[in-house]
Amino acid sequence: MTMIDTQVCSNVEDGNGLAIINSKAPFSSAYGKDALDIALIFGSFEQKVSLFFQGDGVYQLIDNQDGSLLSIKDYLKTFAAFEFYDIEDIYVCHQSLANRELDESFHIEGVNVLQSIEFSEALNQHAHILRF
Amino acid sequence: MTTLHLVRQSAFATNDFAQCLSVLAHQDAIVFMDDGCYNLKHSLLNSLIERIDNSLALYVIANHAKARAIETLVTINKVSMTEVVELTFNYNKVITWQ
Repeated sequence: MTMIDTQVCSNVEDGNGLAIINSKAPFSSAYGKDALDIALIFGSFEQKVSLFFQGDGVYQLIDNQDGSLLSIKDYLKTFAAFEFYDIEDIYVCHQSLANRELDESFHIEGVNVLQSIEFSEALNQHAHILRF
Repeated sequence: MTTLHLVRQSAFATNDFAQCLSVLAHQDAIVFMDDGCYNLKHSLLNSLIERIDNSLALYVIANHAKARAIETLVTINKVSMTEVVELTFNYNKVITWQ
């Protein structure tokens, strides 16, 4: 009985790891940088991390941005390191892109654009969620 | 009385820009800066441009828009932060929407 309980518990905990929701535009606050730091920390401890981009958070993925014009360190360039941290599950809300007249040209590879329903299904598979 | 409106927030995330438009007068000007640059792609701005037929001056800080990979419309004047300081002297008051 104890063994079964432990098994269930570990399934819930390890099941689909951590989801991080990014909902803020990249340059006027530190939210995006904080989310990135958490993702890379989890990645370096080989914990499963999925990234979700919703609302103004989708601006973090758009191609041809240049934070150096604003005299700030452009942390978006670090997104290219996701594959080295085995962060492969990256999801973007299609509706958020459409509302902002953005096309699907991102500055990193392997981004999955999901319709609202699929987006929420993917999110709901995770045991733990942090929102920035 | 004329007002210079400094819009610093994305209308996709907050309703600051909508509030700005609700008090906008004929001789006023709007400057889009920081996340306010995202409003260049917002339907609120399109409907504003249709309504005003060029009587209202619209500005955007060029490097704020460029950093965000936002294409600027020809109807919107590109300025630097230094020029915004000069603009503040051409209007009676300034409201910052943030």
